[in-house]
Amino acid sequence: METFIKIIKEHINYKNQIMKLAKADLVKTYRGAALGWAWAIIKPAVTIFVYWFAFSVGLRMGKDVNDYPYFLWLIAGVVPWFYMSEMITAGTDCIRKYSYLVTKMKFPVSTIPTFVNISKFIIHLILIFLVIVIFRLFGYTPDIYLLQLPFYILLTFIFFNIWGLFSAPLAVISKDYSNLVKSFITAIFWLSGIMWNPSTIKNATLKKILKINPVTYLVTGFRNCFINKVWFWESPKTLACFIIITVVMAVLAIRIYKKLKKEIPDVL
Amino acid sequence: MPKTVIEFKNVTKIYKLYKNDKQRFKAIFFKKTPYKPKNAVNNVSFKINKGESVALFGKNGAGKSTILKMITEVTYPTSGEIIIDGRVSALLELTSGFDPEFTGRENIYLKGQLLGINTDEIKKLEQTIIDFAQIEEYIDQPVRTYSSGMKARLGFSINVNVEPEILIVDEALSVGDEEFRRKCIKKINELIEKGVTLLYVTHATKTAQDFCKRGMVMQTGNLIFDGDIEEAMQVYTDTIKE
Repeated sequence: METFIKIIKEHINYKNQIMKLAKADLVKTYRGAALGWAWAIIKPAVTIFVYWFAFSVGLRMGKDVNDYPYFLWLIAGVVPWFYMSEMITAGTDCIRKYSYLVTKMKFPVSTIPTFVNISKFIIHLILIFLVIVIFRLFGYTPDIYLLQLPFYILLTFIFFNIWGLFSAPLAVISKDYSNLVKSFITAIFWLSGIMWNPSTIKNATLKKILKINPVTYLVTGFRNCFINKVWFWESPKTLACFIIITVVMAVLAIRIYKKLKKEIPDVL
Repeated sequence: MPKTVIEFKNVTKIYKLYKNDKQRFKAIFFKKTPYKPKNAVNNVSFKINKGESVALFGKNGAGKSTILKMITEVTYPTSGEIIIDGRVSALLELTSGFDPEFTGRENIYLKGQLLGINTDEIKKLEQTIIDFAQIEEYIDQPVRTYSSGMKARLGFSINVNVEPEILIVDEALSVGDEEFRRKCIKKINELIEKGVTLLYVTHATKTAQDFCKRGMVMQTGNLIFDGDIEEAMQVYTDTIKE
């Protein structure tokens, strides 16, 4: 608890620096290339095209979902995933990447995952906005269910911020850990019901496992806003499950941070 | 009575050396994981008052850098207490601490902001910093393209111009040509006159004499001498001979 208050205090004291560093991180990612900022959109666009092509044209799998074209169903889930996958890897590597903040000056380590997260989050918001625009172009006007979008966006942000705080210190201590996370990213992608509809799974045990998978929960949540037209309070059990997982991870993150805080500068 | 700005109370720093990274990872979960303790700093106590300039001597591995890192609050003591009062500006490893993807100018802002200086203040300091560093048109190039001398000059320039209250210099003056060195020495003397507290860490005893009246000598983690600079130099020279 004490550590938790300390982390919050560090965030408040360094809020200006956090914003500046988030901006710097963003600028750094997209600068230096001739197309610059356009890459923030081109890269996901290419990926989406490949998925759509492989599933719709190649495997002939892409059926309409809830009267929405497969393409729209795809982007409603894949776009949030882009942010999640970025955060799973970048969140893990962030302290290593910004080691100069740890070893060369006085800077609170706990805020590093936060500013990296904010930087990725801004791109995420832009892409989500584009998804809404694309839905509109296809003739689907936003309806009342879209009002819960900020709720899911906020959940995702909080979840992955905690993830960063949990994962980054471990990755500093052990390279194996960071390799482990990176090698699981594809597995998480294919197993979490991002490319296929988790509600069509017949096996009951598998269904249960998917229900507690936080990635599945969030991706389905985004689709609930855009396509399934389900309110978040209509599935209280899975929401409770997600919150429990988040809280457990937060407790672990704080414990790990407390334990490793003094060791991180000595290892980097 | 002068104000104490740096105080070490029985400070000990032990590095835990594990056989490999796997063992270190294991240690997060199991307390019993074996490691070799390395005493980098051993029960060190001292006080430095405002406006003092102190030289810190010691061979490689004597614990100088660890002490500096603890003063800058980059690393933490294993036991003991450290009290720091004032804005610390440290010239540790001058060539690092920059973001290589950013230009020199952006790095000035970033570093200033990280030190907690607001943007208006940095704007005022910007030209002074650039002029002092003598990097002219390179200032708008990414730092990764800089030579090590340029990086060092920029680093030095930022750190002495942000109006520090405590200045820590670690062998920094060995970079750059004779002219730049003289400029640095002049600047540091100016700061000392303004009442800045200086901690100067070096192997070279000669330059230390230029600014410091008090000397401390470290040997394998212990503070073996603290007092007049002349005597400190003598003690240090003796330790080398041993």
